[in-house]
Amino acid sequence: MTQTTIEPPPEVDPNESVVWYRNVRVLRVVGQVVAVATVVGLIAWLFNNLLTNLDRQNINTDFGFLDRPTNFEISFDQGFDPRSPVWQMVLVGLKNTFLAGIVGIVIASIVGLIVGISRLSSNWLVARAATLYVETFRNIPPLVIIIFFGFAIFTFGPFPLLSEATQINFLGTDDNLLILSNTIWGIPGFVAEDNVGVFWITFGVAVLAAIGVAIWRTQLSDRTGVHHHRVRWALGTFLVIAIIGHFLAGGAWSMSWPVVSENGRRIDGGFIMNFGFIATALALGLYTASHIAEIIRGSILAVPKGQSEAANAIALTGFQRYRYIILPQALRIALPPTINQYLNLVKNTSLGIAVSYAEITLLTKTSIGNGRPAPQSIAILMGVYLVFSLVISLLLNAYNRRIQLVER
Amino acid sequence: MTDPQFPMTQTELGAEEPIAIPVAESGPRQKLPPGKWLRRNLFNNWYNSLLTIVIGALLLFVAVRAFSFVFITGRWEPVRANLTLFQIGTFPRDEEWRVVAQVLIWTAALGLGVGAAVAGAKFRALQAGVEYVTDPALDRLKRYWALVLLLLVWLFFADTIGPLLLTVASLALAWGGYAAASRVSGPNVGLLWSVVGVLGVLGFQIVSGFFGLGWLWMGLPIAVAVYALLGRPDTDDVKRQRRIQLIGVLVTFAVLFGVYTAVDSVGVEWDDWEGLQLNLLAAAIAIALSFPLGLLLALARRSSFPALRVMATTYIEIIRGVPLISLLLMAQFFIGFFLNTDTPLSLFTRAIAAMTLFTAAYVAEIVRGGLQAVPKGQMEAGNSIGLPAWKVTQLIVLPQALRAVIPAMVGQFISLFKDTSLLLIIGKLELLGVREIVHGQPDFRGFGIAESLVYVAFVFWAISFTMSRESQRLERKLGVGER
Repeated sequence: MTQTTIEPPPEVDPNESVVWYRNVRVLRVVGQVVAVATVVGLIAWLFNNLLTNLDRQNINTDFGFLDRPTNFEISFDQGFDPRSPVWQMVLVGLKNTFLAGIVGIVIASIVGLIVGISRLSSNWLVARAATLYVETFRNIPPLVIIIFFGFAIFTFGPFPLLSEATQINFLGTDDNLLILSNTIWGIPGFVAEDNVGVFWITFGVAVLAAIGVAIWRTQLSDRTGVHHHRVRWALGTFLVIAIIGHFLAGGAWSMSWPVVSENGRRIDGGFIMNFGFIATALALGLYTASHIAEIIRGSILAVPKGQSEAANAIALTGFQRYRYIILPQALRIALPPTINQYLNLVKNTSLGIAVSYAEITLLTKTSIGNGRPAPQSIAILMGVYLVFSLVISLLLNAYNRRIQLVER
Repeated sequence: MTDPQFPMTQTELGAEEPIAIPVAESGPRQKLPPGKWLRRNLFNNWYNSLLTIVIGALLLFVAVRAFSFVFITGRWEPVRANLTLFQIGTFPRDEEWRVVAQVLIWTAALGLGVGAAVAGAKFRALQAGVEYVTDPALDRLKRYWALVLLLLVWLFFADTIGPLLLTVASLALAWGGYAAASRVSGPNVGLLWSVVGVLGVLGFQIVSGFFGLGWLWMGLPIAVAVYALLGRPDTDDVKRQRRIQLIGVLVTFAVLFGVYTAVDSVGVEWDDWEGLQLNLLAAAIAIALSFPLGLLLALARRSSFPALRVMATTYIEIIRGVPLISLLLMAQFFIGFFLNTDTPLSLFTRAIAAMTLFTAAYVAEIVRGGLQAVPKGQMEAGNSIGLPAWKVTQLIVLPQALRAVIPAMVGQFISLFKDTSLLLIIGKLELLGVREIVHGQPDFRGFGIAESLVYVAFVFWAISFTMSRESQRLERKLGVGER
């Protein structure tokens, strides 16, 4: 190596002023101002174009249309009056979106958990069957699955027309437990009677009491070391108070059995599901389950092997090993990506549009087709999804921070 | 009697040579005799036996039903009669030769590209002084079994000799390209990539036509080739060399511009591209366009400028919070209003714009993950040798970050490919949309619904499955997450 001489750094006088265009601090500010100005200018230009073009096309740019009548019927929703304002239509769409989303999430969680665990099963056949499930559903577009359920299984599928629907009775009585047709299904439901207000008050009391009991059991367990069983206790408290409330209101709810109407066009009573809802919820549930299964599998593999060996060492059964050692740790790892999948599922309910499920996207599109201004309608549509996603992300981040702290 | 308290340990201790087990597990997989294998993997305790029987019966039932659906009860006439419609939609039939030429050119380019990759790997192995090993040909074919199956299904459904000829010709071209390219010596591999690029653009333009800005696209790979050819290090005068290269590139562009202006042949417009062709094309264009945008967003999100960070984060979070379909509806109804164009943009262009804006947010998050995976010491090392910040990013951070994100990008491409089915909802005739036309034909009304859906699902599945397997292989090969 040749000898290198290190020159001492030049003396810098801290008071010496740097010319402004060489000053990093000034440059940083200038750079950011330029960047913001460019983006703001671009957005302003785009919106200016939009407004000019809309003006040229004679499209309103205010939100007054929300108060005007909707002017179309919602299929399978007899309760919706076409004369009610557009904002009510948005609420109906929102309700349907979340209904399909929640049912889909339940299906996806259960199936995903089972398939995810099965993929790691020591049973060759079970593991292979789970792999088959995952690789099949993961690589098909959810829209194709939804349309398959909607048209190949329902509309053109093996189910009979509504006028000659399959009716499954409840233990030999005339009450229908299930009505199956190719457009709508009916199951028993509950109908609110006059005094349901009283019931809702006791319902609130029941929820508060259940929370109180859960906290009490936890504290008791912390103090004395007795097993808390807080879920059982809270659920029991809730059920007892809610049932008392039901009878206190003189029977707030009554059972309603589904019956095919005489003209064979609709189902009266009970809880009615149309094929769009079943197809959307089921297809998205099964599709998302394949993603959740992969997450669960990865999370189980991420639990250190020593944990499972320790469980074996203290002679836990296979079930106990999973229930008390592996799953509690794996689910903690799996939670953030799983919630992401839930968010995707709720966003994907917008695909219900292909099987005419009256969720918010379909209603927005129909409403635009009926002459409502597109930009505002779509802005509302995006806003709804956005608020939902951001709220869930915030909650998730908060929760995540909490459980991470518990962990280490 | 089995003791349910010790399911795992008992079977292991009960084996004949308990000590040998860990050795057998860590060594290469032992081939067990069938009886022993069955007992160990399917019937090792009572509940596994029960599960085996239940799941086995279920699988058998599904398999029998699937078999009878595919081979006995299934009415595949709608698919069989409309095979071309599924591939290219209502693409003008007298221009069909363009699609055939495109397939041939692209398969040749694919063969050349794979060959170039192999040649490059061979060269690097040679330089590193290690032996270059390939998997046996059969193993390589096995990896693509889903695609092979798809090809066989197409050939089975076809009732003319055309598709078979096309398949044979394109396979021959691909193989020829591969064989030729893999023999190219190391330093020339770069030129080979330019040829692949030229063929890629040519395949595109044989359909879209030779006019407008087409010369620019074609100019890029040719200019790279010219630059490389003129850049042989046989002169000491670097400045003069640079000048010659620059002039060469400019002349190339000028000549191409002249040729394209002279030819000026309008092909088939983008808006007429339909069927599976549209799905593949839309996904490819959208991912290619969204990559630079996503890269910029990712860099902005990690920038030290708070203003840039806030803007990039806002964009990414807004886009990720809404479903793609809302953006597509925007494209359908009013995205053109944002621009001051005299003629309205075609629906395809608007849809591509929506898909690009959407995918860019996801690409940004992927690239950000890659950027975060680069150790901080790398940047500090770059700073310490006096590189300016943008050089550190360009020369040190990005090459490492982008290598790590390749598998995730393939995953994003698969997801985008699946999402192209949503073009149906805004009225583009992609693969799934063609189905509705098929069942609108008087001959095929109201039957074969499940069959045509299964066919569409299978096409999507075969392509996505193969790509996802490739991305997993790539992930293992690149050793992502292992260092």
